[in-house]
Amino acid sequence: MLLQRTFEERTWTLYRQGRISGSMYDGLGQEAVAAAAGLALEDGDVVAPLNRELATHFARGVTVADAFRNFLGRGDGPTFGRDGNMHFGVPARGVFPLVSMLGNLCPVVVGAALAFKRRGEPHVALTFLGEGAFSVGDVHEGLNLAGVWQVPAVFVLQSNGYSYSTPSSAQMVNTNLAERIQGGWSIPAVRVDGTDAMVAFGAIKAAVERARAGEGPQAVECVTLRGHGHAAHDDASYVPAELRALFADPIERLESQLDSQEADAIRRSVVEEISAGLAEAEASPAPDPAAMEHGIYARPL
Amino acid sequence: MRSDERVFLLGEDIGHYGGAFGVTAGLFEEFGADRVMDTPIAEEGFVGAAIGAAWQGERPVVELQFADFASCPFDMIVTVAAKTHWRSGIAVPIVIRAPNGGGVRGGPFHASSPEGWFVGVPGLKVVCPGTIEDAYGLLRSAIEDDDPVMFFEHKGLYRRLKGSKPPEETRTPIGRARVVRSGSAATVITYGSGVELALGLEHDVEVLDLRTLWPFDRDAVLESVGRTSRALVLQEAARSSGVAGHILALLATEGFELLDAPPTLLAPPDTPVPFAPELEDAYLPSAHTLNAAIEDLLGY
Repeated sequence: MLLQRTFEERTWTLYRQGRISGSMYDGLGQEAVAAAAGLALEDGDVVAPLNRELATHFARGVTVADAFRNFLGRGDGPTFGRDGNMHFGVPARGVFPLVSMLGNLCPVVVGAALAFKRRGEPHVALTFLGEGAFSVGDVHEGLNLAGVWQVPAVFVLQSNGYSYSTPSSAQMVNTNLAERIQGGWSIPAVRVDGTDAMVAFGAIKAAVERARAGEGPQAVECVTLRGHGHAAHDDASYVPAELRALFADPIERLESQLDSQEADAIRRSVVEEISAGLAEAEASPAPDPAAMEHGIYARPL
Repeated sequence: MRSDERVFLLGEDIGHYGGAFGVTAGLFEEFGADRVMDTPIAEEGFVGAAIGAAWQGERPVVELQFADFASCPFDMIVTVAAKTHWRSGIAVPIVIRAPNGGGVRGGPFHASSPEGWFVGVPGLKVVCPGTIEDAYGLLRSAIEDDDPVMFFEHKGLYRRLKGSKPPEETRTPIGRARVVRSGSAATVITYGSGVELALGLEHDVEVLDLRTLWPFDRDAVLESVGRTSRALVLQEAARSSGVAGHILALLATEGFELLDAPPTLLAPPDTPVPFAPELEDAYLPSAHTLNAAIEDLLGY
């Protein structure tokens, strides 16, 4: 999760320098959930991260250089310059690319889990849902299918208090997503503090293993507060000061349990990894406009 | 399904019921509930699940009860299925079967020809057979294809066309039109139910069955019109939707010098499909209106 934090701090700098186009999103305050979910998966499992889960990519083995290539729009990056920021997948790592339409990926991971179940493979498919996605019909359809089919899918709910600028209380009456999933779709769900990395990891790991063991879909709601606005253009001034004061930094929490020398060594190695990855990505070629139409089809006519 | 274990079906009432039009009748009995899956009424959900299963190496074939209902999973098709390979290299080999077309008094929600929602979308392949051989050959090709294929089947042709099952090795290449009747005075460019209608013409006209609407066979259109010098585009989709505009644009930009007359279009008006027989009969292209349109074209 320190890798995500440090990576995103670097991308903020690059963005302000005009070296990253488009907008910028980060997962400040939610890195523990992202890292825990990625680390809870095994080889052969698949995942569809959203936009505050860069640590999930890293935990699945996506390199820092590849992530930077995508943010910088390089031609040899995961999307070949065709999509930006954390909108990327890495097929070889079992990572499906994010789409901006929230909720779409919920049925998609249910289908991946269905494939595992059909073939009798002991794999799990995981995705994330925030409060915003929870208002989308696709999520209902996906959760319902997961339950009806009893597939090994795990839903990690990122309850960070806001959907863009809209507080959860304006998205739904009952903001306890675990309660709703368990009561509404009969999918076992627990609710944990998402700023406690070890607690989040324990809960997600247990859910993943229950799904792997054939106990059907599982859900874990991780409660956090979103550290920044929705994106670079959003200063989150609508978040009341008393709520801001409750912000808990998952990295500080975990670090307090470490020996300070050990923590310093981790910080140094992460900074080195980020710098080396950025240098590698910056040396990558720009995309070639002449190749823009390549790959529209897997089997061109 | 017998030749590829990865192929399985998803849709509403396709199991023991055999599908709204009986297309999957008998498959549940032969292949069981794991390969012929009845789904909840959740098109966005089960098309999304098909995409996820395809990501993980399966070959799902989805049935929409009516092509009109393609509006429900539209987002999943154009946002996820169509764009995924281009921006990630992940192939999405799914087939979405959808009964389109009118003439069965289905009204605004059960008789549409919404091919145009998908024609022109990069990453999708859109097909619509007009013959029994192509219904089989295109479906086999679509299932074997590595891309998302929208497979429109005209519900009127389910009953109107009669014939025996084509040989198992039959494949209709995606992206290739076929001259189903040669002629010299004009080319009727059509697909689906239009093929049957055009073959009823008594004039010396060539009938070009597009078979694939997107990406359509540009070369075949230009070659045929190069021979006949006159073109009529016939479709059951409303006149401002679908592939017709693309064909006419091709003729205007690349076929202009081939033409002895302005290309014409015979298609329904820009309204939803009406219910009452008097209205639907007036809405749909017919032998009478096609004949008149050809007379006009040949008389120019």
